[in-house]
Amino acid sequence: MFSSLFSSEERLPLILKTTTVDYILGLCTFLLLRRVFSSTDEPGVVLQGRRLSTQSSDAMTVAFHEDGGTCIAGTTIFFSFCKPLNVGFHLHSLQALVPSLLQREIATALEKLGLISDRTYAWEMFLEMVRSQAQYRFPNADLPLHFTDATRAILVNWIIQVHEMMNFQEDTLYLAIHLLNLSLRLIKVTTTNLQLLGMVCLFLAAKKEESLLPEVSFLCYLMDNTYTKQQLLRMERKVLCGLKFNLSHCAPSHFLSLLAAVARCSAMVLSMARYLLELSLLEGQCVTFSPLELAGASLCLARLVLQEPSTPEGDAAWCLVSSIHFGSEATLRKIMNILASVAAKADIQEPNATFVKFSSLATMHVSRHPGLIDASSLLLECT
Amino acid sequence: MAMAHGTRVQYEPVAEIGGGAYGTVYKARDTESGQFVALKSVRVQTDQNGLPSSTVREVALLRRLEQFDHPNVVRLMDVCATQRSDQETKVTLVFEHVDQDLKTYLERAPAPGLSPGRIKDLMKQLLCGLAFLHSNRVMHRDLKPENILVTSQGQVKLADFGLARIYSCHMALTPVVVTLWYRPPEVLLQSSYATPVDIWSTGCIFAEMFRRKPLFCGESEMDQLGKIFEVVGLPPEEEWPTDVTLSRKNFPPLMARPITDFVPEINEQGAQLLLKMLTFDPLKRISALNALEHLYFHDEETLIETKS
Repeated sequence: MFSSLFSSEERLPLILKTTTVDYILGLCTFLLLRRVFSSTDEPGVVLQGRRLSTQSSDAMTVAFHEDGGTCIAGTTIFFSFCKPLNVGFHLHSLQALVPSLLQREIATALEKLGLISDRTYAWEMFLEMVRSQAQYRFPNADLPLHFTDATRAILVNWIIQVHEMMNFQEDTLYLAIHLLNLSLRLIKVTTTNLQLLGMVCLFLAAKKEESLLPEVSFLCYLMDNTYTKQQLLRMERKVLCGLKFNLSHCAPSHFLSLLAAVARCSAMVLSMARYLLELSLLEGQCVTFSPLELAGASLCLARLVLQEPSTPEGDAAWCLVSSIHFGSEATLRKIMNILASVAAKADIQEPNATFVKFSSLATMHVSRHPGLIDASSLLLECT
Repeated sequence: MAMAHGTRVQYEPVAEIGGGAYGTVYKARDTESGQFVALKSVRVQTDQNGLPSSTVREVALLRRLEQFDHPNVVRLMDVCATQRSDQETKVTLVFEHVDQDLKTYLERAPAPGLSPGRIKDLMKQLLCGLAFLHSNRVMHRDLKPENILVTSQGQVKLADFGLARIYSCHMALTPVVVTLWYRPPEVLLQSSYATPVDIWSTGCIFAEMFRRKPLFCGESEMDQLGKIFEVVGLPPEEEWPTDVTLSRKNFPPLMARPITDFVPEINEQGAQLLLKMLTFDPLKRISALNALEHLYFHDEETLIETKS
């Protein structure tokens, strides 16, 4: 089965020259106009005349840390800056002050990212995102017997390549891999049909997220015509019924964009964090972490690796974003260790699709950043 | 008309309930649990690219709402897609079955109708359900007493939300008879619309709970608008939407009349809330969340507190 997978992989550059692809790529170019947000804009938006609830739900999500130093691994250095601020205010006054600030910042960020059109429900939506994201982790990383982590990585790497070629949005990729993770656990699929399942997951994710879709015949072509169109559509129904149409997901990339916008991160930090986050897709063990944990850890690690000089505004913004509880310190550290070691060896053997994608100029060559080579030792220093 | 999972039939049709605007709805028995369910099928035109993305999205959205298990929203228990031919796929939605809707509930209420306390409770539940849908970016678009279900315990459950879009995408050619009575001005004027549409409909239903007959019974779009302006008055020029063809000049200059002329039994706070729901400009119309915080609902709490 993987012979066909690999052969189609080899054929990618060739295929790109065909007219079908030119057509699709042409149609897809406008998709490249991704949601762009500027990280330096002032919020400056007045909340609609609505009383924002500052009840238990807020307390649940927004955990304040009396001792900023213990907040999040890898952010310790930044919290040394925050300490004078904490001393100046009593905690309860900070709590009274910060939630409304955070609410406003989150609403502005959600709006900028195009995730909402109406600010009325912005904070409720965010709380709901945080509440519901926890369900998108799996209790364990176990896979059906015939499917190893290595096989999974090959399939995911291939999906990343197809996704990149189609110029799909980032969310589509995260949804596709989530659907794959679910399908592998809910539907019986033979080894010969794994590639078909991967393609159907990407196709369904695109149907949910994208405005322009490839033809089924083209998808079959990409798989070397190993499967017929009828087989692909039958697999589509099988997946939809198997998942009972449950295609919802809370993409970690949403959280990353949101956190980075509130934290006023530089384009470089965001690009690095997106690279690290995407690497987590290839790691089977990462399915046990929640989207917010993965996004938070990627952002923390990216900041640590890049060591950008601090500015008062940036530090204050980071302090604010850190009042959102991403996850336990132990979990975040675990994820950062995994990502640091994966990033360090991403180009040693055959570079994976994510490494190649993030070595381009558009992504600021982050995957080739020298800081990644000893990111693990940087993490050690922080303990 | 039975849905099979594998070879076993899981849902046995019991009766046809209502030939809804969008197709026949069946009451069926779930052979596994013995529970009654409502089966709604949509026949979707499929081309060689499988199920259309609009259907995939809408059904997925309904499924996502299910995770929240909201008490005022009808349960979607199962969904299945079966191929009927190369050109057609049947998507069956399996909902929990509730015997009674608000229309029959109002009809069955003995004279002089529902008590003010009962109306307040129903409204509160209705708005809770709506606030939940709206905060999840779902609008109902066709809210009316027929698709507001009331269980024997008096629990309100919204049904048929989000279906409008699933159907309209693929069944545009079906001659559909829909009532205009609960439609807001922006829909009648064919302007752009969003979640405030449901608040207008809720306002109409609020009034109807007291009146036990609909508030605006128009026979055409124009007639419906005329009947609305007779109550709320002709809106000022600057509130008239700019993206519509129908001119404001087509309507006589009417002043708003006191809402209590039409809904005499309503109390002062209720009347205030009703007017905020029947606001012509959708941007100025109250949201479901704000409506729930309105004084009309507050005095109930204070009453209970003083009693206990």
